[in-house]
Amino acid sequence: MCDGGQSAVTSAATASRPILEKGRVIDNVALGSGMGFITLEAPRVASMLLPGQFVHLRVGEPCGEHILRRPLSVCDFDADAGLFKIYYQIKGGGTAALSARGKGEELDFIGPIGRPWTPPEGCTRALLVGGGVGCAPLTPLYKALLEAGVEVQMIRGAQNATMMAALEVLDFTNTGCKMILTTDDGSVGYHGFVTVPARECLQSGGYDYVATCGPEPMQKLIAGMAAEAGVYCEVSLERRMACGIGACLSCVVDTTDGKKRACVDGPVFDASVIVW
Amino acid sequence: MVNVGMNSLVELAVDLGGLKMKNPFTVASGTFASGREYADLWAATMDTADCDGLATKLAFNPDKPLSILGALTTKGVSHKSWPGNTGIRITETASGMLNSIGLQNPGVEDFCTKDISWFGSQGVPVIVNVSGHSVDEYRRVVERLEREGAVTAYEINISCPNVDCGGMSFGIDPRAAAEVTQACRALTKRPLIIKLTPNVTDITEIARACEAAGASGLSLINTVAGMAIDIRARKPLFDRKMAGLSGPAIKPIALWAVHRVYGAVKLPILGMGGITNAEDVFEFMLAGATAVAVGSQNFTDPLSVPRLIVEFAELCEREGVKNIDELIGGLE
Repeated sequence: MCDGGQSAVTSAATASRPILEKGRVIDNVALGSGMGFITLEAPRVASMLLPGQFVHLRVGEPCGEHILRRPLSVCDFDADAGLFKIYYQIKGGGTAALSARGKGEELDFIGPIGRPWTPPEGCTRALLVGGGVGCAPLTPLYKALLEAGVEVQMIRGAQNATMMAALEVLDFTNTGCKMILTTDDGSVGYHGFVTVPARECLQSGGYDYVATCGPEPMQKLIAGMAAEAGVYCEVSLERRMACGIGACLSCVVDTTDGKKRACVDGPVFDASVIVW
Repeated sequence: MVNVGMNSLVELAVDLGGLKMKNPFTVASGTFASGREYADLWAATMDTADCDGLATKLAFNPDKPLSILGALTTKGVSHKSWPGNTGIRITETASGMLNSIGLQNPGVEDFCTKDISWFGSQGVPVIVNVSGHSVDEYRRVVERLEREGAVTAYEINISCPNVDCGGMSFGIDPRAAAEVTQACRALTKRPLIIKLTPNVTDITEIARACEAAGASGLSLINTVAGMAIDIRARKPLFDRKMAGLSGPAIKPIALWAVHRVYGAVKLPILGMGGITNAEDVFEFMLAGATAVAVGSQNFTDPLSVPRLIVEFAELCEREGVKNIDELIGGLE
């Protein structure tokens, strides 16, 4: 998918205010390992999305079992085609209900939401570190960085080969993106966590931006390494969320400037402000 | 087709203890902050095809989105800033949710600086929800807000299960409830609505105590005390163990509380607890509510209040209701 004329490297300053839109399921496939990949047609939201933003998707009926929406990050969007895609993990009843939605069904969502990835101006070499489903929000970022002529090193971690294979659907635009794979059990790529190659990359020097998403302990370690290396780092944090638009204070994150809302002050934060 | 904004065929206006509302709808405190986020979303969305003509039916003005409400109810405001609770703050339950936000707010001074002028621009009556750890703290908040013209009424929160000392501890003891009510009453002539908890043996006892102490109205119910457990950690999910249950799951509890309190006091009731559709509103009014608040449903559908105003007016029309006053406590 092309990015429909979005500025190549994005910034929080250009983020639009969220709307409610009803979209149509174009495709919804199970990838195995409890992962799903859904394509939605939603011209208004698709035209406003920036890398790192998410949508707050309604999964249940009005008086049904699931009254809360699910915040899901967008892994690809195309303003011209009016489409966006979500790579999601089936964690509980809500995401299971989402996985049952078929082609042509209507879904409603609030979006685009949140502070997008905001690489430093003049950034030339970026290190992106994703763990599991956390690779999804990094995908539109590496695409935007590559289009802006930034050299991108991606490190992708998964539990095992099956989980890694399920991440391959995110590879639609990685031409030119250098990729290091790691698995916890060593079945594919480097045997171990993403933190080992990440440390090697940062020690080799030359990076001016680190972006990471995945399990929070992993993000904390990556942020610590980036800080040691003196490289600006952004993290993307996940919280349980009710309203998704900044009103209810369910999703707060502890920062050096007090509690911030993951939905609208994040989900992407400057790692140096996070109180882990 | 009902045009709620211009000239509805049904008289929707109600008087909630001196608070004049053009329709019986407000929002439940804490689900709506001070309204800016929803106002922005409504303004950006209301006239799109996905909103089924709501903008026209409501005579929606994108410059004053909140003016469609009967009243706005704010997030709880305390004397000084409160950080709210640590750890996980919400979880979904079957047809409901538990929350343990803990009344995080920046304090009344910050509230006055940032929100009062905004309320003035919206052309909507404003009910400020007031929280405190002590009678004196409630008093100080009301005292400060008395200096602000954009405040129409108070909802005194003596029922939050999510804070230590204060909150619900006042709402489970008739004497303490009366003391807070009396202290606030002495400071204001504005409508004074006391928000009650269902987590008591006899809610009518608390209701009568508030009535005797000078309340103008009662709002009920606040959330129902509940718990969730993380089985892997074998620990309570919430740091404070207890959390507040809301959503459709508690509607029958709320209806029963409204019905009982309606029979016990003469005060008007702001009913809430699991309202999701126009029929629910009808039920609450028949049980005795003069007005209603929509809470968790704002999360399910951020356009639920505009939708409900229209759908409720249409339902009244279908049911041959001319003036909704006839519904209040209208159980046969």
